[in-house]
Amino acid sequence: MERFIVELTVANHCGVLNRITGLYAKLKYNIDSLTVNETTDPALSVMRIVSRGDAAIQCRMTRQLRKLFDVKTVVLLNNSTL
Amino acid sequence: MHCSGTCCLRKFRRIHCRCHYYFHYYYQHYQRDYYYAARHGIGTINNKSSKFSPAGKIRQGFLIFNHRYSQMKRSGASIVIEALCRNRVETVFGYPGGAVLPIYDELYKNAHRINHVLCAHEQNAAHAADGFARVSGKPGVVIATSGPGATNLVTGIANAYLDSVPLVAITGNVAVPLLGRDSFQEVDITGITQGIVKHNFAVSDVRELSGMLDAAFEIAASGRPGPVLVDIPKSIQTDMCDEADFIRQEIFFNHPVPPDVTEAVKLIKSAERPLIYSGGGVVAAGASEELRDLARWISAPVTFSMMGLTALPADEMLNLGMCGMHGSQSSAQAFSKCDLIIALGVRFSDRATGNTGKYQEGKKIIHVDIDSAEIGKNTAADVELCGDVKKVLQQLLQHLPRLNHPEWEKYCRDAKKLDHHPMDDKLTPFSLLRTVAAYCTPDTVIATDVGQHQMWTMQYFPFQTPRTLLTSGGLGTMGFGLGAAIGGCIANDRKRTVLFTGDGSFGMSLQELATAVSQALPLTIVIFNNGVLGMVRQWQTMFYEKHYSSTTLQRKTDFAALARAFGAKGKKITSIKELERTLYNSAPDVPTVLDCQLDMDEFVLPMIPPGGSVQDLITRRN
Repeated sequence: MERFIVELTVANHCGVLNRITGLYAKLKYNIDSLTVNETTDPALSVMRIVSRGDAAIQCRMTRQLRKLFDVKTVVLLNNSTL
Repeated sequence: MHCSGTCCLRKFRRIHCRCHYYFHYYYQHYQRDYYYAARHGIGTINNKSSKFSPAGKIRQGFLIFNHRYSQMKRSGASIVIEALCRNRVETVFGYPGGAVLPIYDELYKNAHRINHVLCAHEQNAAHAADGFARVSGKPGVVIATSGPGATNLVTGIANAYLDSVPLVAITGNVAVPLLGRDSFQEVDITGITQGIVKHNFAVSDVRELSGMLDAAFEIAASGRPGPVLVDIPKSIQTDMCDEADFIRQEIFFNHPVPPDVTEAVKLIKSAERPLIYSGGGVVAAGASEELRDLARWISAPVTFSMMGLTALPADEMLNLGMCGMHGSQSSAQAFSKCDLIIALGVRFSDRATGNTGKYQEGKKIIHVDIDSAEIGKNTAADVELCGDVKKVLQQLLQHLPRLNHPEWEKYCRDAKKLDHHPMDDKLTPFSLLRTVAAYCTPDTVIATDVGQHQMWTMQYFPFQTPRTLLTSGGLGTMGFGLGAAIGGCIANDRKRTVLFTGDGSFGMSLQELATAVSQALPLTIVIFNNGVLGMVRQWQTMFYEKHYSSTTLQRKTDFAALARAFGAKGKKITSIKELERTLYNSAPDVPTVLDCQLDMDEFVLPMIPPGGSVQDLITRRN
């Protein structure tokens, strides 16, 4: 299974990480690694989530993440885009 | 009854987007301009993510919710009331308690602006708000206290989530200093509801409250509707705040851009046997006219998911009724023969498709949905159109030439004859439903609970008007019906409303009769009383060697006497004649319970066994 990274710009307040990892858990996908950093704009942070899955899973994941109201942008980084 | 207008004129609201545009809106007519801005997306951004998903051409922006009144201090509870009025809420459902006392105090003072309907249980209050929203199309509002009040809402919220119903749930919580200390009646309701809401807010500062409530209403009603929960600690309800100090709420909205329909047009033109599969999205978008036009224009029969059933009148020529596990025989035949499925506002639920592999064999699929995450979730689509189904249908109608498939139409019309059912004098599900249907008007709201009676209603009741059916589709919540009927009746100007329920389902929410009586609602409650949990019993008969484990109720409840005890009217019904007589004599301001005695071994047929396909259709009992 291909490794892929999802890079998210999210609101920087409590409960956001929970919402995003909750979505991964709900869809039963494991997170291999995860970083969260505040950006120069303190209202936003950047999250990079590494997990594994085929193209269908990657597409499903990005679409589900885009639905969250704390998520501003979703960028998918995988073998074909890196 | 809504806000008097004098304060509206003073309202100042700013919506902006940091991306490319910067908007200032000074509102005189708040609602119209505000919703215009929200619906059309504020600002655009060509973000990198769009190229990774074909359905993801997203117009992105965010709305900033920052409402200001005049320069005066308000309590959090008063801010809640102002936000409700601003969002044109006239009726709220709920149940008071310690942690929402300040809000209830404000409701007391504002009784002339907001009508609070006191229910008997929070779960039913949530169902009532849900029913209200399904009929009115506006977000339903439910208020509950912390702890048990909040957890009792969970089923109602989940139900609204799975059926995409706009619902705003407001819960109280313990005061901020007591949070996280396992205080009396404290639960982490935002954590509990995380997986079953579109979004939720835990208010931690009174200055955020106004913006969060506005955002909650916008989120609940926009795009694919859904429930939103706002958790307000008691101390925040009493905190005072100067309106100039309100903190803006930034919410990121992803609005789909109108998709390109060229591919879909090509596919429809080349299809010989197109079938429209229409769902709740069509009802939610108010697109029934467009649906009817498309069906006639391209000569395609229409079949429905349960949530979409009311979009076309039952007697419409091309209406094949509900599809899926207990769908009509004609829809099953049409599905097995068609070469193109035009799916509108549906999510290809397992109850509608059965085995998805066999379901898709030899067929092309055009999938239209406002939620890009639904497209390709359960079945792969050949053409993905992410957008509002009404707008997409309008585009399709513009670009499609008139198409004729006389043979295909004839095939479906012949298949429709298979659905024909004889009327008889005995009290059977069919004759019962048709007798009640004759008593109803086209705009009568019909609510159901969950089980055999629900499926019979879907199969036999001739629905005429969109938004007249209240049923729990996705979650299948037994006990949903009575609450929903109360909410639906209130939303429909308190006109006659009919609830079809079973003796099992009714047992789960019958305490709400008290609410129907206190509100003097003209409900007709038809109980399909067969003394068993019929649907489960049917499965036990068919798949579990008639092991009737815990499905024979052996209760001795006299529903007619029970109704009288609640202050309602009640009658035991054993024949169609008796039913007719009682129906036409029912009182205009009291709920009537009709306890109809049915045979426990009636089956819901036809049936596609779980995980099966159209070829496995069971049409008669062995």
